[in-house]
Amino acid sequence: MKTTLGVLLMLALGAAPAGAVLGEYESSVSLDQQTMRGQDRVTSAQGYTLHQITAASGGVVSEYVSPQGKVFAVSWRAPLIPNLQQLLGSYVEEVQKAAQAQTHRRGAPLIVRSKDFIFLSGGHLRSFHGLAYVPSLLPENVPAEVVR
Amino acid sequence: MTIKRNSVVSLGILLSVVGGLVVMGSCGGSSSSTTTTTTTPPPTLTNLVSLSVNLGLTGDYVDGLFTSVEVCAPGSTTNCTTIPDVLVDTGSAGLRLLSGSLGTVSLPSVTDSSGNEIQECIQYVSLAYTWGPIAQADIHLGGETASKAAVQIVSETPSPATPPDSCLSAGVNGAFPENSASALGANGILGVANYGPDCSGCTLASNEIPQYFVCPSGNCTIANVPSTGIVTNPVSLFSTDNNGVLVSLPNVSTGGAATVAGTLYFGIGTESNNGLGSATIYAVDNANNFTTTYSSAQYTDSFIDSGSNALYFLDANTLGGNIECAYPNTGFYCPASTLGFTVTNSGINGTSGSFSFNIANAANLFSTGYAAFNNLGGDSGTSPSTDYFDFGVPFFFNRNVFVGIAGTTVPNGVSAPYGYWAY
Repeated sequence: MKTTLGVLLMLALGAAPAGAVLGEYESSVSLDQQTMRGQDRVTSAQGYTLHQITAASGGVVSEYVSPQGKVFAVSWRAPLIPNLQQLLGSYVEEVQKAAQAQTHRRGAPLIVRSKDFIFLSGGHLRSFHGLAYVPSLLPENVPAEVVR
Repeated sequence: MTIKRNSVVSLGILLSVVGGLVVMGSCGGSSSSTTTTTTTPPPTLTNLVSLSVNLGLTGDYVDGLFTSVEVCAPGSTTNCTTIPDVLVDTGSAGLRLLSGSLGTVSLPSVTDSSGNEIQECIQYVSLAYTWGPIAQADIHLGGETASKAAVQIVSETPSPATPPDSCLSAGVNGAFPENSASALGANGILGVANYGPDCSGCTLASNEIPQYFVCPSGNCTIANVPSTGIVTNPVSLFSTDNNGVLVSLPNVSTGGAATVAGTLYFGIGTESNNGLGSATIYAVDNANNFTTTYSSAQYTDSFIDSGSNALYFLDANTLGGNIECAYPNTGFYCPASTLGFTVTNSGINGTSGSFSFNIANAANLFSTGYAAFNNLGGDSGTSPSTDYFDFGVPFFFNRNVFVGIAGTTVPNGVSAPYGYWAY
């Protein structure tokens, strides 16, 4: 039922099924670029490659790629929260569980700290920021702090 | 309700009469008219509504700030209802109401040039969202009126049932609708932020912001919204007292309080009850943030928000670890003994000032069953590079907090193009 709905939604939006991104290979970055209809700026940093996609509706989504070509982190700074299903792939399920499990926290950032997945949705209306990364995929000598 | 508005009109007439007499006196009128002025009782100011911190409609809302809002069909004095338990949110703009709270009041919907109903999707940081059509209403807050204001109407049975994917950040299984009293803990949200319209680019023909939609035959596309359809901070729509608000809450003791009563004043420096006094002005940046400095580190994405129900700041690791609450209070701080903090806030206008607060054990606070705490805290990030300070409701106790709207003139001449805070 849910799968059908997902496929239907993709068809309705005319978007290619954007495969998992976080934890997947760099080729999935171009899918994001297409869906966000944005400009992709690629820069090399110490130990990784950074794609910064500026979306047509404003805001920047960053994707961090290891020398092995895997996306080990994503982050965003934008007026709207990006499509996390597309950015996080199967990792979105951990975010979904955490979002549904919030107790007492109201109007508050959403944070996930599980064994091998870190997620933050922060900021406020008109000015959101956030990140997600997989610690075990961090390239050698690249600290988590580069993801921001 | 009708009686209330009538009394406001009478007050207005009284004011004009008094004003007229004063002018006469200053122009050298007879001493008898001056005598008349002094015997007229001072007018009761109506630029205010009552605030309450209580457990909300769910009975477990901690540090939620609520008020009552009267809405009427545009121009009507009878097709009206007063809606209690509406969350007061300095972090958003405009009025959003659960459809059930309207009772029998019917409001006209806002449509595009083709007659399609305008719908809006608003994302919240927690991945909650509100989704529903835009209606027009007169909003009455105390003696103030926002006429023909765009209001978002949220229900459990919207059509289409979910917003487009472009707004549904974490999908139907993740993003969750705040479409009922049990989900929202309130009958609606009254957004009185540092700005007027809730979207600055949505009226443009080239609009690509996935926030306002039209959904003919259930197929949603981004709307060309008429300016009358943009949900807007009602304060900026008032004819007077429209440059911001003052949130005034009394102190609570370290053990908390069952409930707290306060006042929301409209206007800044416009009446005898809303002057800035000695408050420091902190102008915000174009993202409505300012900088908070703690332990020599600067957190540039910091803000004040009455829609956040705790002081959300830093993370447990950065704070030395071992203070995160156990399930089910995960995300709050539970230190063994109360911790004290002093931070410095800085506006883009060059001002800065320190703020000291305590963080108590959240589990102990919750066990009291009280609604109001000035020492409730939780985490905002995952490491210093992503952390920030979100000064929620606990910040507001025992102080006057002014929320200045972007584009208004600051009473003392400070430049604050994106709005400001003052306290």
